[in-house]
Amino acid sequence: MKIRAIELTNLRRFAGQRARIEGIGDGISVLSQPNEFGKSTFFDGLHALFFQPHRSAKAPVKALQPHAGGAPEAAVEIDLPEGRFRLEKRWLSRATARVLDASGRLIAQEDEAEAWIDRLIGQDLAGPSGLLWVRQGVLGMEPEGASAAEKSERERALHARRDLLSSVAGEIEMMTGGRRMDQVLARVNDALAKLATTTLRPRAGGEWARAVDEAATLAEQRAGLEVKAARLGTDLRQRTAITRDLAQCADPTARAREVEALTAAEQTLTSAERHAEQMAKAEGELRLARLSAGQGAEAISRLQQLQARLARAGIERDKAQQALTESEAVAQAAAGQEAEAVTRHETAREELQTLANRLDRAQRAQLALAARDRAASLAVEYERAERQRAAAEAHRADRSLLKVTRALLDLAEKAQAARDRLALQDEARLVSVRLNYQGEARVMIDGRPLPADGLRLRGATGLDLPGIGRMTIDPGLSAESDLAAQLVRADEALARALAACAAPSIAHARKALAETERLDAAIRQADDMLKELAPDGMAALQTCLAEARAAANGVEADPGEDAVQLQEALRVARDTEATALTLRREAETRHATLRETRAAREAALQSAEQALAAVQAEAGDAVDLAARLQNLTAAQPALAQAEAEATETLARLTADAPDLATAQAAVSRLRSVVEGRRRDLARLQSDLAGVNGSIGALADEGIEEALDELRGREATAAARAARYEREVKSLARLRSALDEARRAAREAYFSPVLREIDPLLSILHPGAALRIDDTSLLPTILTRAGQDEALDILSGGTREQLAILTRLAFARLFARSGRRVPMILDDALVHSDDDRIEAMFTALHRVAQDQQIIVLTCRQRAFAPLGGERLVARVEGA
Amino acid sequence: MSYSFLHSSDLHLGRAYGGFPEDIRGRLREARHTVITRLAAAARGAGAADVLLAGDTFDAETPSPETLRHALRAMAAEADIRWVLMPGNHDSLAASELWRRIKADSPSNLLVLTEASPVALAPGVWLLPAPCTQRRPGRDLTDAMSAATPEGAIRIGLGHGAIMDFTSDEGSAGIIPPDRAQLSGLDYLGLGDWHGRMQIGPATWYSGTPEADGFKHDTAPGALAVRIAASGAPAQAGMVPTGQFQWLRPALDLLPGEDTAARLSDILPPDARRRDTLLRVEAAGRLTLAERAGFEAQLAAIAPDFGWFDSDLSRLTTEVKADDLDLIDRGGALRRAADALLSETADQALAQADRDLAELALSRLYALVQEVGV
Ligand SMILES: [Mn+2]
Repeated sequence: MKIRAIELTNLRRFAGQRARIEGIGDGISVLSQPNEFGKSTFFDGLHALFFQPHRSAKAPVKALQPHAGGAPEAAVEIDLPEGRFRLEKRWLSRATARVLDASGRLIAQEDEAEAWIDRLIGQDLAGPSGLLWVRQGVLGMEPEGASAAEKSERERALHARRDLLSSVAGEIEMMTGGRRMDQVLARVNDALAKLATTTLRPRAGGEWARAVDEAATLAEQRAGLEVKAARLGTDLRQRTAITRDLAQCADPTARAREVEALTAAEQTLTSAERHAEQMAKAEGELRLARLSAGQGAEAISRLQQLQARLARAGIERDKAQQALTESEAVAQAAAGQEAEAVTRHETAREELQTLANRLDRAQRAQLALAARDRAASLAVEYERAERQRAAAEAHRADRSLLKVTRALLDLAEKAQAARDRLALQDEARLVSVRLNYQGEARVMIDGRPLPADGLRLRGATGLDLPGIGRMTIDPGLSAESDLAAQLVRADEALARALAACAAPSIAHARKALAETERLDAAIRQADDMLKELAPDGMAALQTCLAEARAAANGVEADPGEDAVQLQEALRVARDTEATALTLRREAETRHATLRETRAAREAALQSAEQALAAVQAEAGDAVDLAARLQNLTAAQPALAQAEAEATETLARLTADAPDLATAQAAVSRLRSVVEGRRRDLARLQSDLAGVNGSIGALADEGIEEALDELRGREATAAARAARYEREVKSLARLRSALDEARRAAREAYFSPVLREIDPLLSILHPGAALRIDDTSLLPTILTRAGQDEALDILSGGTREQLAILTRLAFARLFARSGRRVPMILDDALVHSDDDRIEAMFTALHRVAQDQQIIVLTCRQRAFAPLGGERLVARVEGA
Repeated sequence: MSYSFLHSSDLHLGRAYGGFPEDIRGRLREARHTVITRLAAAARGAGAADVLLAGDTFDAETPSPETLRHALRAMAAEADIRWVLMPGNHDSLAASELWRRIKADSPSNLLVLTEASPVALAPGVWLLPAPCTQRRPGRDLTDAMSAATPEGAIRIGLGHGAIMDFTSDEGSAGIIPPDRAQLSGLDYLGLGDWHGRMQIGPATWYSGTPEADGFKHDTAPGALAVRIAASGAPAQAGMVPTGQFQWLRPALDLLPGEDTAARLSDILPPDARRRDTLLRVEAAGRLTLAERAGFEAQLAAIAPDFGWFDSDLSRLTTEVKADDLDLIDRGGALRRAADALLSETADQALAQADRDLAELALSRLYALVQEVGV
């Protein structure tokens, strides 16, 4: 269907007027009028024509009536495949409905006309009018509002979308599983939710968690019981061991045997102790006998020794007396020899001293003479040195007056050469006048005859030629060069060079240079001499001279003795003295030694006498001593007999002695055995009581039965938990399979509309995608750069654009299903900026290639770039 | 001078059955206790006055005082019966507290054998017991059965433990020579330890437990009534049933297309027996998705009949065909999810656990879709 013209009469704004738009094209047609013109009235009129029965007086119809009242009328001319038709309706008073064909023939009227229009709507328009006709100010995907009309329009649009999508993609119910899928999923989710959390862990309070908890609790209880059971086992084994030990311990035969053994051992010990006492007594007696015998022998021995010592001391005293007597005689002789040696030595020493004095005097006189000679020679040297020093000083004074050096002389000689060169040049330029006189007459110059060798003229010179007159020769311009000035400068330079040399001429200067060299040589020579004569300087030389003179002045009178002979005599005298001294020392030493010997022997004698006196004092009376000795010796055999008897008694007792230590050990061991058994018995009985108590308590609990039961219950609980886990896994697997299948089905279902939307969307939002809700069958999510955005939070402009793009996509789907339905936009895109609006225009044009689009707008300038056909509404009086 | 007695063992009184729910646990314990009465009745029925218990009368070394007291009282109540008690491995002599208490509280009709020495049971009838000294004595205690008895006496051995040919119920290596009866000149050797009934030789028997305690043995629990005519005469042993509970572990090998309900009912005990039956169905083979769902529903339906019920379907695989998936949905997202899960069940690149999970998820999906209806 295509709309070609719309005509409104006495409808709302057009009270008493007829407004007509005609020439509506195939693609985009734009009616651009100012706001108050009433373009929305066209939309409403058109809508009412198709959807409000002519007999209706409902609010939407009443809204069509102008303020002035009267019956509103609407007509539309449409092209159908069968041809062009005109549909007319008039509401409220004299309501009519008519359908006319192209030739103006009435096809149907009133109810028949309504039926005709219903058929048209049912076929083409019912859905699309809601879906594709966009009323002024509608921002979103669907018409808003809660009125019955608005609701029914929304319903119509939803049905249209559902029909449309089903026709291109199959039934959504069929595809997504619909209600059955929902129910299955709900049951799966219910079953899962009962058991598991969203992360598929056991959910607290659920059967799975209960099984897991129960298994854990039972495991804990079991572990506790296992500990007890283990303790019971240990206790039982321990009791077996204790009982066995107790039986052994309490064995009466063993006990009696032990007591009997102890009694026997104690008796053995008593008799052993008695024997030991007897032995101790015998030992005491033996010790006493030995002591008595020992004392007697000791006293005898002591008295015998005293006698021997007394004899020995007498002999010693006599020997010492004799030695002293011998020693005194020898010492006497040695004293005489010593005195003689001393005298001889003293004589020799005096002789030696005399000779030494004589030699000393002779040598000192010789030394004084030598000093006088040296003073004389030093005086001569000093004088010569003084001369050299004076000469050098005089040369230096001369030398200091001479300034010339080799270099200064070279400079002066160069200055001289330069000056001579210039003088020669000057000379060469002079006019030479030479006369070879043949007569007497002589040419005169300045009153004197011209020299025979001629004359050289520098300037104008007057020559008196006797008899002829005066001839003036003028060399002219040749003299006017600057040679004269150069010469003057050369002279000055020469003078300066000579002044530097302190010489009036080169020859002087050369002589002066020769003189300096001679003086330098003379100075060197004098200095060398001086150094030779006085190497340490004049002052040192003078000091030496003074010393020599002083030494010479102390000269003694020469005794006139021969020092050599004196020295020989002195050597002999010295030998003699030395020999005498040796002899003297020998004599002295020998005498001294003998004196000491004598003194020592005196002391020895004295001590021998003292020793003798001491022994005599100790021994007392000799007779008495002998008597005592006699008595003691007589008592000795009786004592020895007593000792032998005691020894024999002890040996007999020792041989018979039982081992006391062994007897004690045996008693001690057996006592500990008896005591140990008693203690063991007590301990084992106590242990047994303890173990019995523990076993009794544990056995009363029936641990093993309880443990067996717990193990079974734990295994059952664990198996149940495992079953639930498997159940949860299989449910989760099922859910993911269902989710995945439904997602895939939705994708397949919505793909036709998305295929249409995507190219349009990419005009505005390249790379973006829309997601379609499967209840409303409309886009609800815009995905841009991977970010999901709900459409209702987007800006008004974007929402409006997406709403229109979606409609365009549905329009294309309609076209694809063979239903070409006009699309009407009433003041759409009010929220869009210029860039977007142009992109939208492009999208509209893209769709308009096979789609009629009627755009009503009050924004004349903004919609100018839309292009398309411009419609004109003509308004005239009705 | 013939002699009759009842041979039993492994009463395991006081066994806890912790792996079972509380109510059946109590009933199982109670059945172990009441077997004392049933044994007494069996002895009377066989004309015997002596019940020889070859060890493991008590499950624990130190049973709860109640277990012990109730057992002794129950034995005392059967005043015309003499109970001959010998330690086994569970209640060995190492369980000294148990035997101390038994002796302390012993009724007059109780004969406790704690020594491995001959005991005269009746004139000319000698019992040669080999009480267990430890849980694992590690030596052949039945050597003691060679002890001398008066000439011409009937010699009855009573022992506990595994014979050399096989390992015990508890996994330890057998140590009793299988020809012990011959070696020691016994007219009868009564053994305990093996919970099933088993004849080892002409005169050697394991009586098995009189009240079953697990699925392991499929012999009907009972006691052996033995009659020995005279020394050297062959012992005649006959089984007397004493068990209350039945432990059944039937196996079902299923294939698609089978009537699972019929197969199931074939293996189930009659309704009247079910309350005293512990049943574990072990299914193998494969079923379609729908059949499996049906089978599971059948199992769920019969489960409450039994004292205890369990099923092990871990070896039962689910065969899924396109038809089955059509029952989920012919298209759309549900079908897409089912297809994804199905392909995962067969995806060899996945771990077996993940494939099983996918199979489980698919079965679940099938069941849920059936629940919510079309
Ligand atoms: Mn056992």
